[in-house]
Amino acid sequence: MLRRAVLQTFRQGLAQSFFKRYAVSLTETTVTHQPIETSNEAGERSVPTQKTGDESRNTVVVAPPEFRFMYPEFLPDPAMETRNRLREKLERMDMLQRRSVIEIPEFYTGSIMAVTVADANSPNKFARFVGICIQRGGSGLRAWFILRNVVDKQGVEILYEMYCPLIQKIEVLRLERRLDESLLYLRDALPEYSTFPLDMEPERRLNNSVVPINPLKVKLRPRPWLERWERQNLQGVEDLNLPQRFYDKAEKVAKPWEKYDLMLHYRKTIPAEEQEKIFAEVHSQLQQQELKRKLRRRRGPDNEQ
Amino acid sequence: MYVQLFFNHEQIRTMSRVKRRTTHPPYWHVLKNVQRGDEKISSDNLRFVREVIQDKYKNKSPIKGSDLDIEKTEWDPKTKRSGVIARNIGVQHMWEKDGKKVICTVLHVLDNHVIRYVPPEEYAKSIIGAKVFRNRKPLGCLVVGAEAANPDRFTKQYCSLFNEVGLLPKKRLARFIVTPNAALPPCTPLTAGHFVIGQAVDVYGKTIDYGFQGVVKRWGFKGGPASHGATKFHRRGGTIGTGRDKARVWPGQKMPGHMGSEKRFCRGLKIVRINMKYNVIYVKGTVPGPTNSIVQIFDTLLPRRKFTEAPPHPTYFPPEDGTLPQEDIWDSNLHVFGSPSISV
Repeated sequence: MLRRAVLQTFRQGLAQSFFKRYAVSLTETTVTHQPIETSNEAGERSVPTQKTGDESRNTVVVAPPEFRFMYPEFLPDPAMETRNRLREKLERMDMLQRRSVIEIPEFYTGSIMAVTVADANSPNKFARFVGICIQRGGSGLRAWFILRNVVDKQGVEILYEMYCPLIQKIEVLRLERRLDESLLYLRDALPEYSTFPLDMEPERRLNNSVVPINPLKVKLRPRPWLERWERQNLQGVEDLNLPQRFYDKAEKVAKPWEKYDLMLHYRKTIPAEEQEKIFAEVHSQLQQQELKRKLRRRRGPDNEQ
Repeated sequence: MYVQLFFNHEQIRTMSRVKRRTTHPPYWHVLKNVQRGDEKISSDNLRFVREVIQDKYKNKSPIKGSDLDIEKTEWDPKTKRSGVIARNIGVQHMWEKDGKKVICTVLHVLDNHVIRYVPPEEYAKSIIGAKVFRNRKPLGCLVVGAEAANPDRFTKQYCSLFNEVGLLPKKRLARFIVTPNAALPPCTPLTAGHFVIGQAVDVYGKTIDYGFQGVVKRWGFKGGPASHGATKFHRRGGTIGTGRDKARVWPGQKMPGHMGSEKRFCRGLKIVRINMKYNVIYVKGTVPGPTNSIVQIFDTLLPRRKFTEAPPHPTYFPPEDGTLPQEDIWDSNLHVFGSPSISV
């Protein structure tokens, strides 16, 4: 049973690591302390009284809390009917095997990516597509993301399965986040917001430790739209300028009590203790893979010379 | 000129007379779980009970193939091998070598042990055996148990089923019909290695319980129009009979009712991957029942997918020195995750 205290600390830890890592344009929030132990430094800080004193301080490998944002597909689907520890473990092993062959970089909704896929019908057998990631989902080997671009005035969206062996290469050309978790409103936005050059070069990041948030507010085309955007609390969209009756109906239909529904959020997420266990299991292998890649990259240009 | 005036009801209505499911166990089953009331047992007595259980079942080292006296029998195409009790632990997506996605069900072979072998003559005398082999040559029956549990929770009569064998009582029991040459002695462990990559299996399990369902979901009726003035007729059955022949509702008329929770077979599923370390089988396709439900796996009876070569007969035994020949065995058609990306 999830301890209420741990749920609170988990949420605080979530929020804190969010702000710590990603808020460049947002104002600094007052961070008191980090309840979830991340590194050895945490032992020096004051431990909050919420935690039980019985927990033994053995040396346990704990992955940094950022992992739950960098690798969200390692967390299983929270629906209790389909959960099974053994199957999830085997699936994670397969995911790590695949990651040892191909680099699946860290990306978020709003990042611009290029994916190269083996395609029998293409002239040189490989098809490369550049686009902005508008949505990502799925868990385990079923993880997917959708890239959107406008090619010859035609909007194109492609859903890629992250662990499909047909994918040869995934590059992140611009790593950034937007104000919303899902950018489906780009379908109703002016086409310039979804257009990216197909021969775009990867951009170098100035600050590697923080992922910038692009505070862009997108202009939508005139109605009709594919969805009722006024009901979705979108941050990344300019003022919709709709007649008042739309907003009135949105208020009538809204469920403002959902943000207080603890059990609903509990059922939609994996508890903090389990997340820590999962990422601790996966952490060392991912680190090793990253190190190997860095070495290969360093050696690569040297070898060419 | 013969005009078919009457609709042939016999064809579709006969199976409706057969009872679809029972929710109680058969009368010859022993009472399994202890009906525990408010037992005020002292902690000393509890400790003593636990010690007794430990003494009874300790020193049970893993049973090796050499310890059991198995007769050396030949495999022939008419042999029926034992089946295995497994748990359906979910679904995993895998890819074939040409990039095609394949949905595989993951089946975890539990700790199966043979409890008893009933020879054909004896089995044919039992009530069920007599029914099954009424006009056929009788075959033997292997009773296999899976999922060992604390004897505390079971009744004495249920634990007595396992006393001869000296095993911890099992939560699940199943019977498998075998030919005498595939008989196994009691205490034989059955693992994932019992099966071969590429073989076809039949999986027998209880389907998902949908509860009381309407006619659209249960029988696939089309219902009525969603609009165009349809008054309260969107998911209903409509007419249930003609006025003419028999002038009544025929038995077996498809109506709303309980759907699911029935034992069904999924035949001819191909095994694409076996993990010997975790005792897990990946089977191409889906299997009756929800995730985490128990199923039985047998060699298929579909004639064109049966064995052409001898499988591990009568069952697979790991090598004595503890080394596994191969931990993870993949089908030749399947893309192994650690291998390079597919280039078409």
